[in-house]
Amino acid sequence: MQDKQFMKETLLDGARAYRAGRMDRRTFLALCGAAGVATNAVLAGDAQAAADHIVMWNWGGISEECHGNAIGVPFTEKTGMGMRFDTSGPLEGKIREMVDSGNVTADVADGDLFNAVSLGPTGHLEAIDYDIVSKERTLPQYALEYGVSVILYGYAFVYDTEAYGDNPPQNWADFFDTEKFPGTRSLYKWANGSLEAALMADGVPGDQLYPLDMERALAKIQSIKDDSIYWGSGSEVHSMVVSGEASMAIIWQNRGKNIEEDTEGRYKLVNNQAMAMPGAYIVPKGNPAGREAAMQFIATAQEVPSQLAILECLGMTPSNPEAFSQIPEHQQAYAITSAQNIDKIVFNDPVWWGENSSEAVNAFLDAIS
Amino acid sequence: MQALTRYISPGWLLVAPFFLLVVAFYLGPLVNILWLSLTDPEPGLGNYRMLTESDALARILWTTLRICAITTVFSVVIGYCLAYAMVHAHQKSQNWMLTLLLISFWISVLVRTFAWLMLLGHNGVVNSGMEAIGLIDRPVRFMRNELGVLIGMVHYMIPYAVLPLMANMQTLDPRVMAASRNLGANGVQTFRRIYLPLTIPGIVASSLLVFILSLGFYVTPAILGGGRVLMVAEYISVQLLVTLRWGTAAMLGTLMLIGVLALLWIMSRFMRLTTVFGGGATR
Amino acid sequence: MSEAATGGLGLTTLTKRFGGFTAVDNVDLEIRRGEFLTLLGPSGSGKTTLLMMIAGFLDITEGDILLDGASIRDVPADKRNFGMVFQGYALFPHMTVRQNVGYALDVRGRPKAEIEARVDEMLELVQLSQFGQRKPGQLSGGQQQRVALARALVFAPPVLLLDEPLGALDKKLRVEVQDQLKDIHKRIGTTFIYVTHDQEEALSMSDRIVIMQNGRIEQLGTPTELYEKPRTRFAAGFLGKSNFLEMADGTHALRPEKIDIAPQGGLGGNARLSGTIRDITYFGAMKKYMVAVEGREDIEVGVDSWRNPHALHEGQSVELGWADHASIRLEEN
Repeated sequence: MQDKQFMKETLLDGARAYRAGRMDRRTFLALCGAAGVATNAVLAGDAQAAADHIVMWNWGGISEECHGNAIGVPFTEKTGMGMRFDTSGPLEGKIREMVDSGNVTADVADGDLFNAVSLGPTGHLEAIDYDIVSKERTLPQYALEYGVSVILYGYAFVYDTEAYGDNPPQNWADFFDTEKFPGTRSLYKWANGSLEAALMADGVPGDQLYPLDMERALAKIQSIKDDSIYWGSGSEVHSMVVSGEASMAIIWQNRGKNIEEDTEGRYKLVNNQAMAMPGAYIVPKGNPAGREAAMQFIATAQEVPSQLAILECLGMTPSNPEAFSQIPEHQQAYAITSAQNIDKIVFNDPVWWGENSSEAVNAFLDAIS
Repeated sequence: MQALTRYISPGWLLVAPFFLLVVAFYLGPLVNILWLSLTDPEPGLGNYRMLTESDALARILWTTLRICAITTVFSVVIGYCLAYAMVHAHQKSQNWMLTLLLISFWISVLVRTFAWLMLLGHNGVVNSGMEAIGLIDRPVRFMRNELGVLIGMVHYMIPYAVLPLMANMQTLDPRVMAASRNLGANGVQTFRRIYLPLTIPGIVASSLLVFILSLGFYVTPAILGGGRVLMVAEYISVQLLVTLRWGTAAMLGTLMLIGVLALLWIMSRFMRLTTVFGGGATR
Repeated sequence: MSEAATGGLGLTTLTKRFGGFTAVDNVDLEIRRGEFLTLLGPSGSGKTTLLMMIAGFLDITEGDILLDGASIRDVPADKRNFGMVFQGYALFPHMTVRQNVGYALDVRGRPKAEIEARVDEMLELVQLSQFGQRKPGQLSGGQQQRVALARALVFAPPVLLLDEPLGALDKKLRVEVQDQLKDIHKRIGTTFIYVTHDQEEALSMSDRIVIMQNGRIEQLGTPTELYEKPRTRFAAGFLGKSNFLEMADGTHALRPEKIDIAPQGGLGGNARLSGTIRDITYFGAMKKYMVAVEGREDIEVGVDSWRNPHALHEGQSVELGWADHASIRLEEN
């Protein structure tokens, strides 16, 4: 083990020296031969990424700091590998393009579990190695072949307390009732969460949502179309709400918490019937640090301290049941898997979304535009 | 060689290597897109058949064309007035106006879009101002709808409309307008019968430029449209990045390319494109 | 030309300043009905500015312009009814020749039939009848010039203003067009005010010439008057050529062709100066001798080539003589 580690470091130093022109090609080849490594394995892509750190592909902002502290630090302690970031946002299309182009530069992508359902079978993802990653440290329905839920985020809603005063909206039925609760609504533009909310508002029980009745959901959404605007990013819905453009908005529950705090309670978050969305770390096929390192990273993220640290930092809720009972008092109202909320929420089905999201998104866009 | 140079100016031979390079780098990706539109997800004309079968696509294309056309009309009309004022202003004020125009030209589309939100949004300067002086009792919805998209796009496009018009107006001989006045035509007659016809090449150039650029608009409709104004560029981006229907995206891309080329071709039947795009030497 | 019109113009203390620069300086001028008056001067002399003020394109700083006695100071350009032929012609490039010529009547709302008839008449006048459907870009320079003339005359203006209308034509064509212009002027009787810097044009066409310099009228008179009796050194030098001789009573102008030249002793007692031929230039009809005279500037002598009584050559000593009335005493200024 000691020898192997030494050899690896020597090789990496050699690769750097060779590329910087400090080592001639012959010496470098000899070194690789001695180490029993094919040169192109070292030189291919970024040889640095090949072993001494892992690249996380996320959405930037404060998540860079949060992921670094909550997962990166314990991961480095455990494996000796560092952590770097690509903050360009791993949209499904970008992951597919990266893998198809053969130039994979990220190890772990901060995506949705339904991405694993659509990208896994087409060969764009590494399968999850459940010898390293724990099936118990996530919700049972969220341990899939190509992805595992590491955190949960939720679709809840906020409302303007000044608009509705003594009789506030309490559930999705109220959200969709523009007669009882007049005012502009803001919905998520990419269908997700909006469709489920519409069905629940139309009377579908939370545990019988899937497969989604698209026609029924879209009809409900179109019924409030004249009073609706739609958002595409967290900052956009934030500004729509605090600027008074929308008096109610479907919102990510962590963003809702920020709004409550920013407006000193004028806007209030409602977690009743919130939909838990499994966020997943997925691994692009042929990731530079190797599958094993990526699995180690995911396993680290599953651990309770990391889960609680992410909750504190990003407001993303633990998906590891061991952590549920340790959610601190001040997060009880916001964390959707807290004892206070867990019985009131519904769970998203990533398999349905993975298989149907293209149609769903296009149908939704068509319905709202 | 003699015969060759009679038809091809020797200048072309000099730039030929670069020309070929550019052609290769442009045509390569274009052919790739065309190929994708015919093969993804399965070989055939399935993607193109969607055009006739999908009401959604037809509606998106109609929205796009409608918004681009309205944007073009307003941008060119406002741009015409600005260009006229600039060309006929004193040199000093002309420099000032050009500087202001270019500053707005250089500000990023994102910044300009958000500036409109601040100005005309729900709690924006205009709404608060009108409420404060009692003109209105609830905010007017300027943004997050088609009106918002149009305001943002027209604002963005005006510099593009002004520049070709200015270039055209600057080539006009002021003596021609003086001659019209001298012959007894008043200002309105001179504008309508002499100035306007002589600036048609500029109007066509600026309309083409604005319309074609508008077709690719993405950020402004996405933000100012409040999600309700879906234009083709945003739809293509969704198909590429979210729903992974690259074939559909490629088909729409091809369609837009063909549309633009067709537009140029139709125009070329009415006037020489070289004069439209400032090839003043060949009259 | 049944509808021919003509008018007289009076300019009184007319002045134009651009900022601190005075382009036209206190000009008084009476322009007679039906005359062909040329404003002649170097560039910057104010002749074009003066014309633009008459046309109404430039405001008057001081003074007034009277048309047949009535002030037109406040009449805008499009209401003055003066025809104008612009430098470079300023034809409407998007209109046919007929549309160009008919434009002035069209904007006045005249009936179509009248316009057509009048356009035919004008095209005939300028001999362009078969070019009516062409665009200006398809015509030669001389033809364009004639279109511009027809366009300016179609509404029978009392005054026609011409701003260096022949500047763009080559020399041979210019002489031809000069004759045509003169002819047309005679036929229609309209007052022509013609701006040029070309002295030959001015001499050959004008009834009267105004020589302008620094915004002022330097001298006004018929071509003969101006040529034979220049008042100032500038007038004598700008219109035709002159030798300037300092004599007891002041500076005299002496035209080169009024000097006799002969080998030493050839003039008998009539010799006034003697010198050496420095240069001979042959112009066909004329021969020009440059004679170096001690203590003076070279003297230019012009002799009809066919006469050439003495075979003179460069370096030869010659003597010069002239009649008493040949030299004109100039005003000091």
